[in-house]
Amino acid sequence: MDLRNNFWSTARKKYSIYMVLVTLFIVCSFVNENFLSVNNLTNISRQLAVTTILAFGETMLIICGMLDLSAGSVLALSGVFAVYTYKMYGSLLAAVLVGILTGVVCNLINVVMISTFKAPPFIATLAMMTMARGVALLFTKGQNILQLGNFVVLGQGSIGIIPIPVVFLIVVAIFTWYILKHTRFGRSLYAVGGNEEASIASGINVHKVKYMAFIINGVLVGLAGVLFMSRVNAGLPNGAINYEFTALTAAIIGGTSFSGGIGTAGGTLAGAFIVGFLDNIMNLTNIDSYVQQIIRGAIIALAVIYDIHSKNRRTKSMLGRIDDRAVEKKPN
Amino acid sequence: MKRTLLGVFSMLLVLVLLAGCGSTANNANPATSSTTTSSDQSGSAGGQKTFKVAYIARAQSDSFAAWLANAVKDEAKKYPNIKLDVFDGQANDDKENSMIENAITSKYDLIIVQPNNGEAQRPYVEKIVKAGIFAITTNARISGIEGASSVDAKPYEQAAVNARAALTQIPKNAKVVVLNGPSGNFHADERRRSWQAEFFDKRPDVKIVGEQIANWNKDEAMKYMEDWVQANDKIDAVISMNDNMAAGALEVVKDNPKYKDMLVYGVDGTAEACLLIKEGRMTSTCLQNAFELAEKLLDTSNKLLTGQAKQIDIDIGNPLITKDNVDQYIDLLKKAGAIQ
Repeated sequence: MDLRNNFWSTARKKYSIYMVLVTLFIVCSFVNENFLSVNNLTNISRQLAVTTILAFGETMLIICGMLDLSAGSVLALSGVFAVYTYKMYGSLLAAVLVGILTGVVCNLINVVMISTFKAPPFIATLAMMTMARGVALLFTKGQNILQLGNFVVLGQGSIGIIPIPVVFLIVVAIFTWYILKHTRFGRSLYAVGGNEEASIASGINVHKVKYMAFIINGVLVGLAGVLFMSRVNAGLPNGAINYEFTALTAAIIGGTSFSGGIGTAGGTLAGAFIVGFLDNIMNLTNIDSYVQQIIRGAIIALAVIYDIHSKNRRTKSMLGRIDDRAVEKKPN
Repeated sequence: MKRTLLGVFSMLLVLVLLAGCGSTANNANPATSSTTTSSDQSGSAGGQKTFKVAYIARAQSDSFAAWLANAVKDEAKKYPNIKLDVFDGQANDDKENSMIENAITSKYDLIIVQPNNGEAQRPYVEKIVKAGIFAITTNARISGIEGASSVDAKPYEQAAVNARAALTQIPKNAKVVVLNGPSGNFHADERRRSWQAEFFDKRPDVKIVGEQIANWNKDEAMKYMEDWVQANDKIDAVISMNDNMAAGALEVVKDNPKYKDMLVYGVDGTAEACLLIKEGRMTSTCLQNAFELAEKLLDTSNKLLTGQAKQIDIDIGNPLITKDNVDQYIDLLKKAGAIQ
């Protein structure tokens, strides 16, 4: 009896986000007949690819007790540099490499500020957000770069029926899942985010873990920059404004906890799709854009409240167990 | 190790700061010297005096505002008697207003304001006039300020030229989608109001099947268009308040033969829009000509500063760009380096 209860409560805790996703999916398919079409579903995945790739980077950082507010700006900078490289040399590979390199360099600066100089991640990456946007605008003089030619294949092309950005998304999702679940580095991320002092005491090189987390984030942001510019067929120095918040939203809805040490790749992916399905169904049914903003905000609030509530329950039940034991130990 | 790193880092920071100030430091020199010369300004009209002009842009990150700021800078080089400084209002009323106040304090001879939101800047432009400094408002003008000049294109007209053409182009009982600029933005609101009065009120048969705010952005417009294409079996026209968003909508359907004849309207006359019109994929746009605005702004400044006029209010044209006349605008943009 107790065992079955336990099973259900762990299942509910562990898989609740996927249940929400499935329920939402079913509801959406009844609300609008176009929702279930293959075209629409590939569209949603294509639309989500860029922000979800960012969200995986954020997930790793948040698990480790940090975050990156500069993701959107660095994305624009990487993308603009990549587009410029492509226009100069005509090489897609060089463009992708420059994009990724830009992302990594910006994130190295982030982590130097955070890990070496102990700046709070919120402030350090906020500074980078302004700087990177400034460089992108300065470099382009605020103008869009046009006529990209074959550069668009990365963002608009498909392999079979699967859009190329979605292929990247799948690869990044598997990569993140593997790192978090099956590597020492992944476990260190949880440890550092859960309790930094304890991690230091148990011999984890916290510096190295933080550097690695930001370097990986840099690679993902750079890649996302290339995909973004390729999808919109322009080098937009003003592009991807507030994308870091979309990415953070996906991570949080997916159960990543801002207090660190908690989060999964699958959860983030589910979080991103929950937001994506909602956005999509609201557009398909032509809901007023002001109302959309309210709904989006309300969902973030709900997700965070749920997160805190379920954590409280966990601590409470732990306390309960201790109390039980105390009761048991009481002399009869 | 850490200390050296800290040292290197702070040195770098100082270096960046100095480099950044270098350019403004140069500006600061004439600033102090002109305080002495500005007192005898009225007497020295026509002489070899250098006038200090401040150009306060709405936002350097808005691609049209940036284009205009660049054009103003280039145009100013043609006037040896004018020394121009450009400031960035960062799309923020509060910041822009304090920049206007600073410019008054620094005793510029003329201040050009590109308002973020006309009514928010109105009292500050009045302050300029009160301080005895020439004021010009542009893109969009703040009208009705005694003593202030203006150079502008009318956002209402820019949309209206498209809307009037659309009256006959958009088929009966058409389904259209509308892409709006940021809510509360003067240009966004005026252009939308114009489409309402010039088109939608006269064509009740036309149905809006989707309308969203895409914040002037191509990527946001793409997302909305992708969803609309799924939700509707046909879309006859895209009515966009600027060219960026129109281009985004077209990006979505570019390989789809079903939307080959879809009509697409924009405003601004960007390089991308002109190329799309040339390809026959976009229907029309209205040129908001930054070069012409810049030319008129500097000409007006010069006339005011040299005492040729006390107040000037002029408009630039609102030419409609269609497939028939797009070549001349592509030439113009090629000359400006916007198209290769």
